[in-house]
Amino acid sequence: MLRRNLSAFPVPSRRGISDILCAVRNFVLCPALFLVAAACCLISVVRPSRSLAQQSEPQPAPQQEPAPPAPTAPSGLVIVLDPAHGGTDTGARGENGVAEKDIVLQIARAVREQLAKQGYRVLMTRNDDSNPSYDERAAIADAYHDAIFVSLHVSSTGTSGSVHTYFDQIGAPVPVPPPAAAPGTKAITPPTNGLTAWEDAQRPYIDVSHRLADLIQADLAQSFSGSPTASVAAPVRALRAVTGPAVAVELSSVSGSTPDSLNAAEGPLSAAIGHGIAELRQAVSTGGR
Amino acid sequence: MPRNLKIILGVLALAVVVGLISFRSLHRRMQRLAESRAAEEQARHAVLAPPISTPTDVVAKAKIFWAAGADRVAAVEVEMPLSADPVERARQLLQALISNPPTAGQRTLPADATLSGFYILPDGTAIANFSDAISSEMPSGILSEETAVNSIARTLESNVAGLRRLKILIHGQEVETLAGNVDLTGFFDLNSVAAPAPVRTVSPAPPAPSPAH
Repeated sequence: MLRRNLSAFPVPSRRGISDILCAVRNFVLCPALFLVAAACCLISVVRPSRSLAQQSEPQPAPQQEPAPPAPTAPSGLVIVLDPAHGGTDTGARGENGVAEKDIVLQIARAVREQLAKQGYRVLMTRNDDSNPSYDERAAIADAYHDAIFVSLHVSSTGTSGSVHTYFDQIGAPVPVPPPAAAPGTKAITPPTNGLTAWEDAQRPYIDVSHRLADLIQADLAQSFSGSPTASVAAPVRALRAVTGPAVAVELSSVSGSTPDSLNAAEGPLSAAIGHGIAELRQAVSTGGR
Repeated sequence: MPRNLKIILGVLALAVVVGLISFRSLHRRMQRLAESRAAEEQARHAVLAPPISTPTDVVAKAKIFWAAGADRVAAVEVEMPLSADPVERARQLLQALISNPPTAGQRTLPADATLSGFYILPDGTAIANFSDAISSEMPSGILSEETAVNSIARTLESNVAGLRRLKILIHGQEVETLAGNVDLTGFFDLNSVAAPAPVRTVSPAPPAPSPAH
C-alpha cells in the first residue's frame, strides 16, 4: 500500500529534461516571441517606474495634524483609517510581488486626503511600514469620544475589482460560572467595576457598525461591479476592540488586479466612506455615540 | 521590393509560424505539469492523512460545504463512509473537506493542511486542531479566511449532531487569527440559523489595560 502510494510521486525523468530542452530550443528558434517578450518587458519597466515615482512623492503631513474645518463635517468626529498589516506581516501577496500592506497604505493616504478635503479630521493607525498590534490600532480610535474606525484590506481571492464591507460578528457571550466555594467558606463573585473588556469593546456598537457598513457597501456596489449590495458580518480581529462604529473594507484582489487598478479604487472608496459616514450621522443625528 | 527585405520578411513570417506551433506545445506541457502537481498532492495526502475507517462505518450521504463562487460556500452531497462515533465522523468529514474538493476552484482549505486532532467536550463544544499549514498556506484575506471557517463550521453542523460551538486550534495552540484577519480567539456558534458567529467567553476578571472611556 505504502509502496503504491509512494510510487505516485513524480520522479524527475530523462523525458522531463528533454521536454525542458525542447521548450528552450523552441524559444531560441522564434524571434517573434522574443520581440513580443521585449515589448512586454518595455511596458512593465515603464509602468512600475511610474508607480515608483508616485511612491517617492513626499509623504503626507504627520497623522495627528487636524484637517482644515469645513461646514459639511461635524467638528468632533474623527475618522481612523487602518491600513491593515505592515512590517513583516505583508498580508495578501500577488504573483507579481504586490503586497497588501503596501497597497493599503497607499490607498489609505489617498483616502485620508480626500476625506480631509471634505472637512473630516482623519488619523491613520500607521503611516509607514510598521505593524502596530490590533489593540494598539483600536486604541487610537478608543482615545476619542467620537471616532469611526475603517480598516482597509486587499484580499488574495475574490472577483477582481469587487469590494466587500464587513462589520464585526459576535455571538452571545458565554458567562463563566464563578468558582465553587469550598465548604465552610464564602463564594467570591468577580467584582463588577464598569470597565469594558477588550474582547467585548465592539459589542455595544454592532448595530451602528452594521448600518455604516451597509451604507458604505451600497455606495461601493454602484462603483465596483461584482460587489454585493449589502455588507457581511465576519469575525474580523481588527474591529473587535474598537469602542465605536467600526468597519473593514476589502478590495479584491492582489492576484487578479494590477497595482494601478487597485490604486484607482482610491477615489470611489473615499467617496463611499465619506457618503456612508455622512448618511449615518444624518440618520443617527444624536451628535455622539 | 529589395531581395534582402524579402528574405527578412520571409524569415520573420517563418519565425511567427514556428512560434505559434511551439506556443501550443508549451501550453500542453504546462497543462501536463499542472496535472502532475495535482497527482502529487493526492499522493502526499494518501501517505500523510490515510482514510479513517472505524468498525461502525456506514456508507451514507454527507453534506460537505465547499466554495461556490468567490464569496460563499454551498453543500455538495458526497457518499462516503461515516462513523457512528461523532468524533470519528467529524474527523472523516474534515478530512474529506480538505482532501476531496470536486474542483480546485472549490477548495476552501489548503491542500497541505491536516487535522491533527478533534475532540468533543460534554457541553457540545467541538475542538478542531489543525496543522500549521492551515494558517501558513491559507491565502490571506477576510474573504478567504471567512470562507474557510464557514466551510468547516457548516460541514460539522450539517453532519454531526449535538455540536453547539466550535473552537479552532492551530498546532495545539489558540491563535489570534487564521491568516491575519479572521479572529480565532473565540468560539463559532454551530447549529444556528445564521452563519456561525464567534462567541467570546466573558472572563471573571477584566483584562488590563482597558480601553479608554
